[in-house]
Amino acid sequence: MTRAVRTPTALDDVDPQRRVRNAALTLVALGLGIVALWALQSVGSTKLTQALALFAIWGVATVSLNLVNGTLGILSLGHHGFMLIGGYTTGLLILSEEARGRIESSARSTMTDETLAISVANLLRGLGLDGLTTPETLWVRFLIAIFLGGLVAAVAGLIVGFPSLRLRGDYLAIVTFGFGEIIRLSASTRVFAPLTNGALGFPGIESEFGKSVWWTFGFLAFTVFVVSKLKYSSYGRAMQGIREDEVAAEAMGVNVAYHKILGFVISAFFAGIAGGLWVSWLGGVRLDFFLFQLTFFFLVAISVGGTGSITGVLLGTALVVFVRQYGDPLEETYALRTWAMAGGVLLLVASAALLGFRTLRRLRPRVTPAVLAVAALALVVLLVAAANPAFLDGSFRGFGMRAIFLSVLLIVIMIFRPEGMLGRAEFSWAGLLRERRSEPTDEERRQDAWLSNPALNADADHARVDAAPDAADAGDARTDREGGR
Amino acid sequence: MAMLEVEHLRKSFGGLTATNDVSFRVDEGEIVSIIGPNGAGKSTIFNLITGVYRPDAGDIRFEGRSIVGKKPNEIVDLGIARTFQNLRLFMYLSVLENVLVSQHHKMRSTWLSAVLRTPAYRRQERAARELASEKLAFFGPRLMSFRLNQPVLVLSYANRRRTEMARAMATGAKLLLLDEPSAGMNPKETAEITQIIRRMRDEGGYTIVLVEHKMNLVGEISDRVVVLDYGQKIAEGDYHTVVNDPKVVEAYLGKKAETDEGAGAGPRETRT
Ligand SMILES: Nc1ncnc2c1ncn2[C@@H]1O[C@H](COP(=O)(O)OP(=O)(O)OP(=O)(O)O)[C@@H](O)[C@H]1O
Ligand SMILES: [Mg+2]
Repeated sequence: MTRAVRTPTALDDVDPQRRVRNAALTLVALGLGIVALWALQSVGSTKLTQALALFAIWGVATVSLNLVNGTLGILSLGHHGFMLIGGYTTGLLILSEEARGRIESSARSTMTDETLAISVANLLRGLGLDGLTTPETLWVRFLIAIFLGGLVAAVAGLIVGFPSLRLRGDYLAIVTFGFGEIIRLSASTRVFAPLTNGALGFPGIESEFGKSVWWTFGFLAFTVFVVSKLKYSSYGRAMQGIREDEVAAEAMGVNVAYHKILGFVISAFFAGIAGGLWVSWLGGVRLDFFLFQLTFFFLVAISVGGTGSITGVLLGTALVVFVRQYGDPLEETYALRTWAMAGGVLLLVASAALLGFRTLRRLRPRVTPAVLAVAALALVVLLVAAANPAFLDGSFRGFGMRAIFLSVLLIVIMIFRPEGMLGRAEFSWAGLLRERRSEPTDEERRQDAWLSNPALNADADHARVDAAPDAADAGDARTDREGGR
Repeated sequence: MAMLEVEHLRKSFGGLTATNDVSFRVDEGEIVSIIGPNGAGKSTIFNLITGVYRPDAGDIRFEGRSIVGKKPNEIVDLGIARTFQNLRLFMYLSVLENVLVSQHHKMRSTWLSAVLRTPAYRRQERAARELASEKLAFFGPRLMSFRLNQPVLVLSYANRRRTEMARAMATGAKLLLLDEPSAGMNPKETAEITQIIRRMRDEGGYTIVLVEHKMNLVGEISDRVVVLDYGQKIAEGDYHTVVNDPKVVEAYLGKKAETDEGAGAGPRETRT
């Protein structure tokens, strides 16, 4: 131990002085973040601004999805359904008068006069707040609409939450998937078509919020605030208890049903918010904006980043959004020879990465047949490509290559780091400044010494001999290793 | 006054009657041990009392009121907490967090106040942490300092048992059901846990029912011992009466009870 570190107690795991410093650092970092965001969106291209906004919108979705998937430990596959509800609600509520007029005059529209009259503007007019129905106050109406969208989605979350009380694991995952699809498919049925305009949807949603980094990052900050405060509160601990062992949580007084439903409702609320931002980003509402693929992207993001960590989830989201927004070169048409070359290089990188991984983990032997085989395959592919044989003459369009790329990334992460890139580690200043304690202090070693000191503990040797694989009596034998963590 | 009354309790799994017409009572401030050979139905009784299983017949009364049919978490609210024979800790949560989860049911603030960290919420959180260290302190300093923030996953088996006992104590229960608290502990640690259980009663004010196979532990701290065999109660009384009861000796050693060295003739230590 080089640095004097305080022994943590149950009361405060962070030293009060450090807490002040951390708060100051956080403020500075937030300030820098805002400046950076401002610089990026004023200097950068529209494409970059759009990508940043999309990151924030999907961040709202992934962080909220992870409240159920990561904190509560329930695999939920219906997030796109909640987003759809939020998106359609927001869309309907803020649709402009011109857009309503166009829908009304369209012959194929399935909306009625009553449903076309549903809007925040009419609601405010009804309340006598005409001042809030001007074009300048659109943002107020957008805020109201997106909040209501979240609420409607939360009600759906309440309904979807109920099966989670009876079903476990895979069965529940299938049910949530089913609910997501039911929501999507029923939106175009006769019952809901007057509200959703059937297959046509609503074109012409205002984009000024969904494409603004300020609005989207504002909502992301709000989401991260609520979800992280919840996760690291007594309620979040209870939810994690349910994830770890439902029977034990119940036996320790946790009301399992209440906390599961609570998780689903809050998660669905933020999914609804994300849906509202998403339709604004897209500039319209249509059924095919809410395919299961959306949930798939979110799942990749949270699994790659780490389901145990909100920071990790955001990192994963950034990666997925980057691939989605900047991955178009992957989907273009190239000569087969180019594809072969790229494949060869990729394989070469893979074998090098495998070697690096084994070195890092100190696995022996370092060079396994797998490493050699992948490298050999890479060389063969590269040589063939270089020889330029006739069968490589055509060209190939990498249609869907982005999704394939993300899927492969997911598989690789699941094999080599199943807990995700960040695992359970959350970003913290103490972590960044390497103040985390990994070793007990000398004092603590002394406190612990009675366990390994034969004079104090006559049975220590006996226990070491006895340390059978069934772990009975293994307490002392394992103490040294345990202390080293 | 009787704290816990179990009357004519019966539970079958298919054709197997795991608990067959068992009655006993536990008074406030007592330490009562339930012993019996493997598969005698000891853990099943705990599962019935804590609401994990529903009895087929019979009644369980806690402080005079029947608790049959209540959910496990409602039974904790009433004041009964347990540990598990095969340890059911929250593996990826830290020692401290484990002992905090079991206090969550006492939380009076809503989730919204928790998100907003209102003064009332902070006060309760602080009180919970104080109580957690108070309960962990029963086991000496070993769980108190650097182990506090370690995931339970890295703890030794004995420390996991201790954490689980602290977790049960922190629920605020008056009655603790301990299922083999010394399993996986060496003789020195067993002697220590024996004293700790006694202190849990004397200083902590808990009433304790324990299931145990280690007879020296049972003999040292039990006010009364209930012996089960094949789901039935075959004897009850103080330790010496019970271990010398021919029925008990027969249950443990079989019909042809071999005579051996005097007092040790009673139940032998067995292990699951
Ligand atoms: N959920 C269950 N389903 C079917 N049978 C069960 C169940 N739980 C317990 N049993 C059976 O009931 C009998 C009593 O089990 P129990 O776990 O209560 O024994 P025990 O006295 O605690 O034994 P041990 O000393 O081994 O812990 C056993 O035969 C067991 O197989
Ligand atoms: Mg048992």
